[in-house]
Amino acid sequence: MGALDAQLVPAVDGVAYGLLLFVVAAGLSLAFGTAGVLNLAHGTLYAVGAYTGAELSDGTWGGLALGLVAGTAAACAAGAVLSAATAPLARRGHLDQALLTFGLALIGGNLLVEGFGADEMPVRVPDALDTSVDLLGHRYPAYRLGFIVMALVLAAAGTWVLTRTRAGAAVRAAADDPEMLATTGLSPRVVHTGVLAAAGALAGAAGVLGAPIIGPGPSTGDTVLMLSLVVVVLGGLRSLWATLVAAIGVGEVQTLGVSVAPDWAPYLLFAAMAAVLILRSGRGLAEPHGPDHDADPPPDPAERLRRRLAQVPWPGRGAPAARRAKAAAAAAGGTGAGRTAAALRAVAPLLALVVVLAVLPMMLDAYALSLAGYALALGLLAVSVTVVTGYAGLPTLGQTAPFAVGAYTTAKLAENDWTVGPVQVVVSAAVAAAFCVVTGPAVIRARGTTVLMITVAVGELTAIAIGQWKSVTGGTDGLAGFPSTQAFWGGEPLFEELAIYQYAAVVVVCVVAVALVLLRSPAGKLLTGSRAAEERMRASGHPVTRYLLVAYVGAGALAGAGGSLLIAVQSYVSPADVGFEIAALALLAAVIGGITSVIGALVGAGLIVYTRDWLAGSWPGHGPLLLGVLFVAAVYLLPRGLAGLVSGAPRAVVADGKDGAGGADGAVGGGASAGLPAPRGPGDAETPEPPESPEPPESEHSPESPDGPAVPGPADADPPVRIRKGTT
Amino acid sequence: MLRISGLSAGYHGGTVLHDLDLDVPEGSVHAVVGHNGAGKTTLVHTVAGLLRPSAGTVGIAGRDVTGRPAHRIARAGVGLVPQGRRVFARLTVAEHIRLAHRPPRDGGGGRPWTPERVLDLLPRLGERSGHRGTDLSGGEQQMLALARALLGSPRVLLLDEPTEGLAPVLVGQILDLVRTLAGEGLAVLLVSPSPASAAQCADTVTVLTSGRVTARLSGPAVRKDPGELHEALALTAH
Repeated sequence: MGALDAQLVPAVDGVAYGLLLFVVAAGLSLAFGTAGVLNLAHGTLYAVGAYTGAELSDGTWGGLALGLVAGTAAACAAGAVLSAATAPLARRGHLDQALLTFGLALIGGNLLVEGFGADEMPVRVPDALDTSVDLLGHRYPAYRLGFIVMALVLAAAGTWVLTRTRAGAAVRAAADDPEMLATTGLSPRVVHTGVLAAAGALAGAAGVLGAPIIGPGPSTGDTVLMLSLVVVVLGGLRSLWATLVAAIGVGEVQTLGVSVAPDWAPYLLFAAMAAVLILRSGRGLAEPHGPDHDADPPPDPAERLRRRLAQVPWPGRGAPAARRAKAAAAAAGGTGAGRTAAALRAVAPLLALVVVLAVLPMMLDAYALSLAGYALALGLLAVSVTVVTGYAGLPTLGQTAPFAVGAYTTAKLAENDWTVGPVQVVVSAAVAAAFCVVTGPAVIRARGTTVLMITVAVGELTAIAIGQWKSVTGGTDGLAGFPSTQAFWGGEPLFEELAIYQYAAVVVVCVVAVALVLLRSPAGKLLTGSRAAEERMRASGHPVTRYLLVAYVGAGALAGAGGSLLIAVQSYVSPADVGFEIAALALLAAVIGGITSVIGALVGAGLIVYTRDWLAGSWPGHGPLLLGVLFVAAVYLLPRGLAGLVSGAPRAVVADGKDGAGGADGAVGGGASAGLPAPRGPGDAETPEPPESPEPPESEHSPESPDGPAVPGPADADPPVRIRKGTT
Repeated sequence: MLRISGLSAGYHGGTVLHDLDLDVPEGSVHAVVGHNGAGKTTLVHTVAGLLRPSAGTVGIAGRDVTGRPAHRIARAGVGLVPQGRRVFARLTVAEHIRLAHRPPRDGGGGRPWTPERVLDLLPRLGERSGHRGTDLSGGEQQMLALARALLGSPRVLLLDEPTEGLAPVLVGQILDLVRTLAGEGLAVLLVSPSPASAAQCADTVTVLTSGRVTARLSGPAVRKDPGELHEALALTAH
């Protein structure tokens, strides 16, 4: 009884915390369920409200009221802006929208810090509430009780609108079937904008009122976003009551849980999230219908530019038909020269990588070179994301977990004087792969956005474990002071930037070569086939799940090797090196590269590192802003990634439709790869026959079948990033 | 009332409908029959604005609505009963009715449809008022989809395979209902793979083959002698 009594205050705190999260998470859930926008800027909307409320709070009721109006209005407007920003991407799926909102969150967070300072801002609650009241014999802050009442009013009002009004019915109808909503004369787009604005207003109001609970600071947005994601996942998208229960549960874990079992509470949230997702994968967090993804391909600015350029008569440029005939002849193996050309084209991306890596040191100063080493480590992580997201079709924000495992493995090896580089890389890759054998079954059963959430949970759990397991990982301080890596047996320890860079470059070239060989082998084709047409692959007797597991474990090994490089490059590792932001950067790098391009992912990683560290060096304090701009620009301007920029080049496709030797690595090599979802645009009439996928011939269908749903086939696929839909 | 001329449409740059002309006067039923893949649903979706045509025009009551978004076309007076009904799974019957009820802006064609009038016509829906879309039987869902389309007081009603998967007795009821609605002045475009149901209630029957009109017959003639229609369809079997 006494113990129970002692926990009363944190328990009531948990209710307040939970209601706060409910109001925020309900908006997030609504935006995702209705408009199909996984809004990673939702936490920033809360921060907008919190900063505004804190700024205007002066200890009077008027200040609170003014803050409430201003904060709500500001976040509401920001929500409407988000809606306008994501609307053009509606047909491109959730991943692009998520990346865009993440970019906008980075920009917004940077601007807030700029405007309000990098310190936590104090909040003055109205004097009448700045006291404590008696609660069953305990002193309890009056404001928090008041907050509970206000949050209940807010939640009840929102619930009433959603369930009892015509506007609420329209919102739910838009979540079900936006096309049918349109046929009743209501614009789904207007409903989507309304939902995002209302979600913003709710988050803003919660921010103003909740500022004394989760105060405005640089990390506010991230904290609120993560907790809201957990609530949304736990509550599912179907029921507000379930969301409420989940929110209170999370609130209690954050208060009562931390008070009772401080060591275990952090795990509890993400472990519960992962468990729920895994149990429900396939049905739980159902993909919202969202706008029609099978509609015409979205406009691609790069494609437009390329077609414009194609009309310019370049000297020495053969007619497309002649070029095609030549490529076909070459690929059919008709001539020795043709065969050589095809072989050359197959290794071209790798050769180009080697050349670029060899030339780089001559052009960079020591600082830029050290960044290049880091970019290579991050690049391997991005390649691993490319394999999981682009090839296996499982969008991931969790490859930082095997990356972390690899990094800490190498750090521990070095601590124990195992400093030979190749050994470190191989052991780290093996340990990371073993880690993925354990986590893989949780990831590969789900599809679509559920995978994104599960991988977030996997990544966060790993980061928390690293933070907590101080005796091994050094906790949040990280590990440092271990001996440097040697490039080979008996070699000098690596200190010089150039030597480190050379070591990293060699490792990356070797690892990437192995990855490319595997991805282009028949095994790689099976993987591509099971992404493009999973049902048909299953129906033809392929154990798709096993392929996915193998791919996931292989990608884990790649990430592990990247983690090992990270240690060799920076001789230091902490949880910040393997956190959510790094995961988002790796995903962006893969997307910039064109999501199925291995070399493109490396280039993307380079672009990101130089934007964040080098470019930001000349404009201090704006790293996040520049990164955010990069996210936004990449999503808008490169819908098919860097690989899409050059995919107009002749493709290595054989005449009889078998897979040619073309590389995935359009960025450097020659065009979109055979067997991969060839980016389809209006210009496809001008390009050679799309390649067949490894499928039985009887599964042919006409892409023009007008009645009934069009079955996505490999030939008529694909927007650049095709995420597996939510069924198993 | 509905006038389609030179209409072409398709998906992913491919063309499914080729240069199609079609007229549905006020108070008449125009049936479009054809085999799977002939382009029937494409036609309906293009008229309803769910698909943008690549060429041609769609006119409603003399107004050109070509290429307008679906909600604007709905407001211009088009009601759609889609294939598979597509009622809102999470909305109750009462919420469907409340959401879809939209008084016509310019007085519309004849009498505007109110919830009361729709429930008079489809009394079953009144009994199921508190049930969600997915809790209804196939026939009830069809009624609800029809009610949803009517509540916008349309001048043109598009019916995409409204008898699909229903018991024969219900098929007869639905087709009678279609006649009744046309009798009240609606222009009805009925799409169906079954020549029998088309013949039963249509004033004009158009046969669609691979996206092209291959025969146009008058309803009474087909009812007298379905041979010609069957011949037109058999010819188009491949």
